[in-house]
Amino acid sequence: MALSQKILQLREFIEEVLRILYYYRGRVIFSFSGVTLGILSICVIVTTIDGANKKAQEIFEALGPDSIMVFGGGERQRAARIRVNTLKVEDAELLGRVEGIYDLMPVYSARNVIMRYKDRNWQTQVVGAPTSYFSSLVWKFQAGTPFTDQDYEKAEAVCVIGAKVHEELFRGEDPLGKAIVVGKLPTRVIGLLEEKGGSTGGPNMDDRVVMPLSTVTSRIVNEKRFLSAVRLKTRRDIDGTIEDIRATLRQSHGLKGNLDDDFTLRSSKDILAFVTVISGSLLLFLGTAAVVALVVSGFVLANLFYLTIQERRKDIGIRRAYGATRKGILLSFLFESVVITLIGGIAGILLSVVLGGTFEKLFDIPMMFSAKVVIFALLFSFLTGLLSGLKPALTASRIEPIEAIRG
Amino acid sequence: MIDLKNIKKSYFVGDRELPILKGIDLTISRGEFVILMGVSGSGKTTLMNIVGLLDKQTEGGYTFADIDVNALDDENLAEMRNRYIGFVFQQFFLLPYLDAIENVLIPIVYSKKGIRHPREKAKALLAKFGLEHRVHNKPSQLSGGEQQRVAIARALVNDPELILADEPTGALDSKTGGEIMDLFKMLNDEGKTIIVVTHDPKLASYGKRLVRIEDGAISEDITA
Repeated sequence: MALSQKILQLREFIEEVLRILYYYRGRVIFSFSGVTLGILSICVIVTTIDGANKKAQEIFEALGPDSIMVFGGGERQRAARIRVNTLKVEDAELLGRVEGIYDLMPVYSARNVIMRYKDRNWQTQVVGAPTSYFSSLVWKFQAGTPFTDQDYEKAEAVCVIGAKVHEELFRGEDPLGKAIVVGKLPTRVIGLLEEKGGSTGGPNMDDRVVMPLSTVTSRIVNEKRFLSAVRLKTRRDIDGTIEDIRATLRQSHGLKGNLDDDFTLRSSKDILAFVTVISGSLLLFLGTAAVVALVVSGFVLANLFYLTIQERRKDIGIRRAYGATRKGILLSFLFESVVITLIGGIAGILLSVVLGGTFEKLFDIPMMFSAKVVIFALLFSFLTGLLSGLKPALTASRIEPIEAIRG
Repeated sequence: MIDLKNIKKSYFVGDRELPILKGIDLTISRGEFVILMGVSGSGKTTLMNIVGLLDKQTEGGYTFADIDVNALDDENLAEMRNRYIGFVFQQFFLLPYLDAIENVLIPIVYSKKGIRHPREKAKALLAKFGLEHRVHNKPSQLSGGEQQRVAIARALVNDPELILADEPTGALDSKTGGEIMDLFKMLNDEGKTIIVVTHDPKLASYGKRLVRIEDGAISEDITA
């Protein structure tokens, strides 16, 4: 038989199935909506995990795989609201002598400082940092320049603002050279940073004002003894360096025996670990939801299919009389079931694209759509259709034509 | 074309054997128009199912188009039905979700004959039966006579040699029934072999040959 003939037959066959689906559309919509939910969950899982991993990779690279952060205040102590100011200026010098350290950046963050420009207010954090801050974080400028060593030495009232602060205070206006009031200090804006976006689960990086550390400690807050954090880079392995840093700080802070640390150490590894935890819990919760939705919709589909087959006994009889084999009947019912779940799957994918934007805004979780997601989703919907359709289709294929026609 | 030798068919109810056909010998050649007449329970429908390759006899030999069909499996039988036989039923059995032309095209989906331009052919058949304005109507929008004519077009689309009709006028009024029988006559004149199974004595005059079944056996076989 000619190929064109085969194609024509296939077209008739597909057209018939589509007409059947249209005829039973109420039932079909009911059947595939469950699949849609399941596939939606799968899409959200995969895109979010991919997005989170990509984000983590970006942060990892931005921070540098060799960097370690030291914060004042121990993790356990923080919960009890014991003092956070434990990291002394001298500690930074001591840490500079730890083996392998080649870069050191002390930072003081003043939180909840009010910024004013014209009649607008914005409350955010002011980060006091050395001039190396921007290059060290690989943070580019939209406009203007970083502050200089000279600004630092003289504790000049100059600042670089993040994209979020720019938006809130200036609403698109050119900020360069403008004076904003930081706390009580009139300060000149000399630079505008590029947008970084929220880090996974962390605060928005763009919501900050960066000034020379000297200016913050002497003119914004009066704090000469303590630092908020120190960022270090090491040539050695991270874990070994962290042990040395811990020992140095414990000695400096006079912590002996089993007293808890009054500082916190973070490395890039912790961020990756955090993302793994997020991905894991997402997989667990949404994964369960997806499996439940798919299994339940599979059962619903199978039962509706049984019902349909009872109604269509005469159809099956007629088709058998006109030359359909058992195998042919089996295949056509399987095809029907797979088409239903694939429609459900495609609806789920589309829905996840539509809802994806909302999710991103709502939870600040980046999503990454890829061919992988689509293949995953289609594969799962295909399998659902195949598995739930198999038994009803077998039943249908066993119907004898004379029984069915006799009615 | 059809050669039945001592066909017996029994159903078993528990341990009891219920003989339906008690040894039928029947030969039907190409181009015949046979009325298979019998009251309900005479075994005529069972005979039709066996002739139509929808059922198997318990005993006896059956050769269809020079092929011994006893030896065939499900797949081969399905292909034989598709290739050689067009079925027409009392209740029409059109599929409700397909329009007239799609119903006519059903045998094509399973056909291995390579019918050329099946759509055009289906349309021509509908037109031939006066249904050109009904091509895209659903069965529910058609009258009984129209539905049966669609069913006959369906029986013809794959060029079978034999039309097997089971009480084709049973659900129609006598005028419409007569029109359907005239249609069979016309098809027979065009060369199709036709077997009409019925209990209705009024249909006897349409055929060229009358075979009467009584109590599972042939009691009368008259060729006009």
